[in-house]
Amino acid sequence: MNPPAVHCQQIHRHFGDGDTRVHVLRGIDFTAASGQITFLAGPSGCGKTTLISVIAGLLQPSSGAVSLFGRDLASMPPDDAVRLRRKDIGFVFQQYHLIPALSVAENVAVPLLAASMKRRDALEQASAILDKLGLGDRLHQPPARLSGGQQQRVALARALVHQPRLVICDEPTAALDHETGHRVMELLAASAVHPDRAVLVVSHDNRIFHFADAIAHMDDGIITHIDHPNSTAA
Amino acid sequence: MIRIALTMLRTDRAKCTAMILAVTFSVFLMQNQCAILASLYRMMTAQIDDVTDAPLWVMEPDTRCFEQAKPVKDGTLERVRSRSGVAWAVPLLKIDTMARSDSGLLCTVTVMGVDEASMVGLPSRFRFGQPEAIRPAGTCAVDPGGYAQLFPGEPVHFPRRIRILDESLVLTGMTEASAPFTGFPILHCSRVTALRLNKAENRTATFIIGDFTPGANRAAVCESITAATGLAAMDRAGFGEMALRFYNSQGVPRLFWITIAIGLLTGTAITAQTFSMFVREHTTQLAVCRVIGVTKARIIAMVLCQGLFVLSIGCAFGTGLTAITTHAAASEPFLRGIVLPPQVAAGTCAALAAITITAVTIMARRVALMDPAIVFRS
Ligand SMILES: Nc1ncnc2c1ncn2[C@@H]1O[C@H](COP(=O)(O)OP(=O)(O)OP(=O)(O)O)[C@@H](O)[C@H]1O
Ligand SMILES: [Mg+2]
Repeated sequence: MNPPAVHCQQIHRHFGDGDTRVHVLRGIDFTAASGQITFLAGPSGCGKTTLISVIAGLLQPSSGAVSLFGRDLASMPPDDAVRLRRKDIGFVFQQYHLIPALSVAENVAVPLLAASMKRRDALEQASAILDKLGLGDRLHQPPARLSGGQQQRVALARALVHQPRLVICDEPTAALDHETGHRVMELLAASAVHPDRAVLVVSHDNRIFHFADAIAHMDDGIITHIDHPNSTAA
Repeated sequence: MIRIALTMLRTDRAKCTAMILAVTFSVFLMQNQCAILASLYRMMTAQIDDVTDAPLWVMEPDTRCFEQAKPVKDGTLERVRSRSGVAWAVPLLKIDTMARSDSGLLCTVTVMGVDEASMVGLPSRFRFGQPEAIRPAGTCAVDPGGYAQLFPGEPVHFPRRIRILDESLVLTGMTEASAPFTGFPILHCSRVTALRLNKAENRTATFIIGDFTPGANRAAVCESITAATGLAAMDRAGFGEMALRFYNSQGVPRLFWITIAIGLLTGTAITAQTFSMFVREHTTQLAVCRVIGVTKARIIAMVLCQGLFVLSIGCAFGTGLTAITTHAAASEPFLRGIVLPPQVAAGTCAALAAITITAVTIMARRVALMDPAIVFRS
């Protein structure tokens, strides 16, 4: 059997020292499987963003082990971690974080350009995926001309353009109204889910929980329980 | 990614323009001042350097520069000629006096009386006429700046008349004499003519100029001349250095250096400050690139290229501006000494670039080392 996309074992993480020391992650055990959308849910400040930062290799855990697709992050040379992010992870942020100076197509091409793909090929692939997400007519516009929902779709295209094995979304719908958020989630579910790909969504918006195959509920730095909404419904 | 970095920079028009303008004006200010200073330095030795055919200069020991020279005693010429190691020597008489043009304009002039047999001491090139034309008594040649001062706005034509004291002189040509430090017209004539104008002084030579015999030890020859005559003797380069030391000690160059330093400091300060604002505003975007998998080295390269872009455009504009202004100034006869030496153009750009690139590198390193996880928080 293939190793799980994400596997966390007893992750602890604290910030600061002495009086200001906060223990944000307090022993997280967590697994996300390929072919599924896994939600991380929980109240504000419970450590969701901290956890996905650790999973993405952007933050070192104070203790515990994270492995992605069976590879232990801690034992990986830093360059390999960067390469793994570039090749195997796609990111969607709450605030989209598109580069305003670049056109929509260029924004989507950034992960390919970062991997040293030729500009022409990168733009071609970016256009293809934007087409699929219904933004084929916006390729050359600056992101500022787009609505929030459209910008998040561009961000989704950027997260998927290099066909990563793991897509990490931090509050992808928090800046959008309900209906637009729903549309983005539908697109995410339709385009990101793939037998070899895990999708990890941080959200406390319970109106989109039905998109989840599994929901890990977090509170105060630990995972309290895991729901499987679709299997219970079945 | 470099192209992306440059697009980010160009899209932030206000800051990009501000930085390019800061570099442009800083480079312009520095180069302009340096060009004037370099020209001044050249003017300080212009009349020495113009005498290309006489490497040996003998003068009164308290002479500091060409402009402030006291005439030598009569009889010195023979004593210099008789030293071994001296191939030949001729007198050169310099007089500062007042000239009046035919339109009545009064003007201080420097008259140079050269040995009529050898004509040594004349500038090597003439713009109008030829050296022979100043051989007859009562004729002389004028430099281009001098003509413009004596006959402002008038077309160049010869012969023309001027008066010095109660003597009438005919201008028969125009030399290519270098622009003098004093700014006075330089009149070249035979020493016979010059002696007629020499009312204030009865000595007949200001300098003895000549050449060393081939293979002679120049320093030893100069020492032996000094020992025999009590006068200062040196080669052309030595006289030039002495003149530069003298003018340097007068403080004027220091003022230029202060302006140059101000140009450098304000240019780099404004550029670095604006660049730092630019980088700070783009930190999140660069952090997104880091999260997406751009290496630290690549981020540093991106920021450095942004800095280099601003620098190279600013330096090009600044140098172009200096080239245009010096070129325009150089076509004025009076300012013809002004040029932008390539070393000055390169040196000012290099000084500005060194400081700016250091600052940019520090900023680039700082963004590259930031915690990329900030993208989840902002
Ligand atoms: N770099 C840091 N230094 C100090 N404290 C931090 C740091 N990052 C996060 N924290 C703290 O850790 C706690 C959890 O933060 P985190 O952003 O992971 O929560 P979250 O579950 O994502 O919350 P939200 O739903 O509001 O985004 C917060 O109290 C936060 O202040
Ligand atoms: Mg969060």
